[in-house]
Amino acid sequence: MPFSNNSEGPWGGGGKNRGSGGGGRGPWGGGGGGGPRGPGGGGQGPDMDELLKQGRDRLKVIFGGQGGGGGRGGGPQLPEGLGRGGWIILGLAAVAGWLFASVYTVAPEERSVELTFGEFSGTGESGLNIAFWPFQTYEKLPVTRENVIVIGAGTAFQGGRGRQDAGLILTGDENIVDIDFQVVWNIVDPARFLFNLAEPEATIRAVSEASMREIVGRSELSPILNRDRAALAREVSELIQTTLDSYDSGVNIVRVTLDKADPPQEVIDAFRDVQAAAQDRVRSENQAEAFANQRLAQARGESAQLIQEAEAYSARVVNEAEGEAARFISIYDEYVNARDVTRKRLYLETMERVLGDVDKIIIDQGVAEGGGGQGVVPYLPLNELRRGTN
Amino acid sequence: MKRLPLIVGGVIVALFILINSIFIVDERQQALKLQFGQIVGQLDGYRDPGLYFKIPLIQNVIYYEKRILPLETSELEITPVDDRRLVVDAFARWRITEPLRFRQAVANEQAALPRLAQILTDSLRAVLGEVTSDAILSEDRVGLMTRIRDSARLQAAALGVEIIDVRIRRADLPQQNLQATFQRMQAEREREAADERARGEEAAQRVRANADRQATELVSEAQRDSDIIRGTADAERNRIFAEAFGRDAEFFAFYRSLSAYERALTGDTSTLVITPDSEFFEYLDQGGTSATR
Repeated sequence: MPFSNNSEGPWGGGGKNRGSGGGGRGPWGGGGGGGPRGPGGGGQGPDMDELLKQGRDRLKVIFGGQGGGGGRGGGPQLPEGLGRGGWIILGLAAVAGWLFASVYTVAPEERSVELTFGEFSGTGESGLNIAFWPFQTYEKLPVTRENVIVIGAGTAFQGGRGRQDAGLILTGDENIVDIDFQVVWNIVDPARFLFNLAEPEATIRAVSEASMREIVGRSELSPILNRDRAALAREVSELIQTTLDSYDSGVNIVRVTLDKADPPQEVIDAFRDVQAAAQDRVRSENQAEAFANQRLAQARGESAQLIQEAEAYSARVVNEAEGEAARFISIYDEYVNARDVTRKRLYLETMERVLGDVDKIIIDQGVAEGGGGQGVVPYLPLNELRRGTN
Repeated sequence: MKRLPLIVGGVIVALFILINSIFIVDERQQALKLQFGQIVGQLDGYRDPGLYFKIPLIQNVIYYEKRILPLETSELEITPVDDRRLVVDAFARWRITEPLRFRQAVANEQAALPRLAQILTDSLRAVLGEVTSDAILSEDRVGLMTRIRDSARLQAAALGVEIIDVRIRRADLPQQNLQATFQRMQAEREREAADERARGEEAAQRVRANADRQATELVSEAQRDSDIIRGTADAERNRIFAEAFGRDAEFFAFYRSLSAYERALTGDTSTLVITPDSEFFEYLDQGGTSATR
């Protein structure tokens, strides 16, 4: 079909190629005949007729406007009226159409893969590239773009089951952990990516899920929940990469991020209670420490007081003794000099003080015993005397 | 000029024939060339990409995918040898390696998928039915996947298909066992929490008891030291007194008695009934005369 365009309607041909986006592949596929694209080619028939007609009309306008050369009747038989100028324009238009079909741009984030007669012939960098239509075709792929696949997080896993327990994974010690994660990937080799995997995204998703379950299945629950998240993500990433490499997929796993690695909803309260219990433990320990500190401080104070009291007692007793001893010695020294006088004086002074203060009843010997055997002593009202003193 | 339509017509026909005489096999494809249903040309298929020729109208070309294709199984309930049921779900990746055999066996990809799924399911059941569930849930999984792949690969080879990889995506407990597992996990956590709290209590009690002991020790040591100090002081007192009073025991008795009287016989509490013939009253009777005694 493109060849027939060449002779009759290059404009229309160019437009057609632009419209079909996939370069020259469409027409060639159609030309293959009997293949899967056969019906597609047939379907384009009316469209082509239309385009050809439009092209012819447009040519009519162009050549009519030019008005040079022989006097053509402006009749419907175009080829008859073509002069040299017409042929040149036709040729130029053909070249322009060909260039239009062959030259393409590759955006900065893209690479293109070129095929010559279906065979891989090279990759194109960003910028202007040329693929010689119709012998070469090309496909553009976003290479540097990072693609994200989210697994878990309420999404049903591929395979269309949509179970509630989407993110639940069995661990090696037969616990269950709820994991949501993201796989970020990009294309590292456009050719291999294009030629080796029929459904890259689905494959990466399936491999990612299998890898995560495999790694988690080998591990125990608590390391996943606590510290090994980064290690887990790295391990999963490596396993995905290895598997995809074994498919020769040209895919690079940039990173695996764990969005969530928690116990399942059903048991999360129990897990939180464990944390609360740990805090309770610390709290009781601290309280006990506080009590101990207080108790010991009190005991130290009490000890200090006891010791101080004893020291005080000691000082007091010794001082008193020393004082009393010194006093005695002083008096004794005096006494030695004048024994009788001093002794008498001491006695009298003391008795003076004693008898001066005390209630006293002095009864003469005779009165007390009585001449006729009848003394006063039996009549003394001892109780009253005592009461009176009180 | 009248020949021009003829030329144009000729060119169109020639192009039509040319286009129908060639076919392109893409990198992603492989093809079989058929002549009235019979396979001709390269009998094991056109597997290399490139440009090939055929006879228009008489021969036609069938394309097959050369890339790796997906295959998913539905969930399978497996009973390993230890009779614990597991829900297993696997996927495989495969490609058509022998288009001729593939065509003869299954004709096309749509028809191949159920056959391959059946093969994969059979292999899964066969391999996983022989091992324990622990093996499936452990490091051995990798080895098991290889065995499943090899088994499936053997059967799929008859279809002209190579099984590239088999992966167990999930091997989980069935839904009804899930609840039991949750309960077990919960019980374990509760035990852990109770244990943690009990350990806290234990530690606290230990700290308290230790503090009590230390406090008692401290106080009793202080008590001991204070008694020693008091005792020493008492001893010192005795020594001082002994030294002082030892000089004249008789005078000490006299002196100490006097001071004891003074302290014991105080005005508020004592009433003395005395006769005037004691030494104190010696001069009370005698008047002012000099002593005759």
